[in-house]
Amino acid sequence: MLQLLSSKKHIIENILRIYIKTSGNTLCIDIDPKYDIRQIKNIVAPKIGLEPDELKVIFAGKELADNIVIEDCDLGEQSILHVVKVKEKVPKKINDYGMKPLCEILDDSMFSPISESRNNSISVEANDVAHILNNDTDANITSNQQVLVKKIHFYVYCPTCKGLKQGKLRVRCNFCKSGAFTVHSDPQNWTHVLENKQITGTCENDTQFCEDILQNREPTFAEFYFKCSEHISLGENDQAVPLYLIRPNLKQIQCLACLDISYDAVFVFPCQNDHVMCLDCFKQYCMSKLTERQFWQHPEYGYTLACPNGCADSFIKEIHHFRLLDDQNYDRYHRFATEEFVLQSGGLLCPQPGCGMGILADTDCKRITCQGCKYVFCRLCLQGYHIGECGPIENDDLNNQSTSCESELSCNNGNNGEIASRTTIKIMTKPCPSCKTPTERDGGCMHMICTRAGCKFHWCWVCQTEWTTECMGDHWFG
Amino acid sequence: MAALPRRIIKETQRLMQEPVPGISAVPDDSNARYFHVIVTGPEDSPFEGGLFKLELFLPEDYPMSAPKVRFITKIYHPNIDRLGRICLDILKDKWSPALQIRTVLLSIQALLSAPNPDDPLANDVAELWKVNESEAIRNAKEWTRKYAMDN
Repeated sequence: MLQLLSSKKHIIENILRIYIKTSGNTLCIDIDPKYDIRQIKNIVAPKIGLEPDELKVIFAGKELADNIVIEDCDLGEQSILHVVKVKEKVPKKINDYGMKPLCEILDDSMFSPISESRNNSISVEANDVAHILNNDTDANITSNQQVLVKKIHFYVYCPTCKGLKQGKLRVRCNFCKSGAFTVHSDPQNWTHVLENKQITGTCENDTQFCEDILQNREPTFAEFYFKCSEHISLGENDQAVPLYLIRPNLKQIQCLACLDISYDAVFVFPCQNDHVMCLDCFKQYCMSKLTERQFWQHPEYGYTLACPNGCADSFIKEIHHFRLLDDQNYDRYHRFATEEFVLQSGGLLCPQPGCGMGILADTDCKRITCQGCKYVFCRLCLQGYHIGECGPIENDDLNNQSTSCESELSCNNGNNGEIASRTTIKIMTKPCPSCKTPTERDGGCMHMICTRAGCKFHWCWVCQTEWTTECMGDHWFG
Repeated sequence: MAALPRRIIKETQRLMQEPVPGISAVPDDSNARYFHVIVTGPEDSPFEGGLFKLELFLPEDYPMSAPKVRFITKIYHPNIDRLGRICLDILKDKWSPALQIRTVLLSIQALLSAPNPDDPLANDVAELWKVNESEAIRNAKEWTRKYAMDN
């Protein structure tokens, strides 16, 4: 028998290695993706001393029917199937939700940009496409591209592959985190998937364990999570972050920036109008906002952006979406976010070129020592520390720093550039009276509005204090 | 120089095919990002009858950043300074990539109909507009006749 099995293995053209998790045991088996669930039960049953009819196979929140073929289940290499013993030996009834894999039941339209599209049939969508195409004279689209593929696509940030990948939806018990869990109903939209405790189910992990513990308090809830579909599963903890604002462009909506219609995934802003940008434009939008420091430090979501059309309540809540930036810009995003956080927490940034370390010090302490580069400076004017009032900029202060810089930071040629930049900044700019951001006035009136998104302080270029009606009367234009 | 983005091509085509009434915007022969613009002074404004030349430039990261627009024809207006620079929120912090060349030019035309002396760029003009509106309007008409009606 063993020989027969092993010789049979050689006949399998595409071997798929999967794990079978039973209560207490994990088996590793090689199968053909063309096997159905009945065949899996036949293989597994003797290994755990049970009859095939006593087994239930659970995957992604569903008990799979015997006639389901593995390759239709969105099951990757080294995925885990849960096998549990049926509780009562009653003949199985096929109920309408339980027996098909999750990926066969969900469809893209449930999660597409326009919420009402769930009620629309495919023909309505095709009409819309035709309508758009008629208006778009220079669109050169082959009939192949018009075919709308109805397959659920989730996009994730995969920490292993370090990039935007297609994701797979998985289900586990919200309480004990076991994957041996069947849902009572299918998720219908993103809220069901992203928010806690939306869909109830039955935990099959340990007889009655979860139900007993939670009895009289709440039902057992499903917890949805995502895996990357592009690398071999590294186990149950190998998860990916759902980038749920990136969605298939089922309704063929035009990008608000480049005016093209993307046939790939698009970014849908979380605003009432579901404004859409193609992913390239979204990246450019992020980069230009980053360069202008116009990201917003949101108390709940973090350093983020809103819909470029200024729609109300449109902040991006899941900041992993900014992982779409390349590594260099993502580092910059991180640095700016940290700096903004320090500034908003009442801290300051070391003014020494090349340092910029965040410093949180008592607000009444004027003499600040940077722990990074040991520079000692005045909290009020960000110049080298001095006793008494902050004075005008002194040039010898610059010279002093060049020596200290050489000795402490062992700067070499780059030093001259740094000093030159610093001199220029000193000559050309004045600090915002509120956050000290060096600000250049390149024309217009004396009424300044701080360019830092988190500050926006209104100040007077002449007085270097808050802008007042007196400033307006006396020296609005200098 | 990088290829011209499709968005700019599309906008230019539309400006040619369906021009905005009272506004013409033609790309320069040698630089498709630079537009020669003519805005006619709106009716019932001191600029009526004038043809105002402007220049409009689409920067490298357009539409992520706003077009740069400047009046070339001298104009007496509280929100336009003597260098032709325009004080208009959508050209600065209220810019959105969903706005277009045509919406910008329409806003500029609207600004000619409704000067806003409370948000000025030209100080003396704004002050006169507030203190003595009829004299300011007289000046504006005079400048329109002098600078915007020849040719």
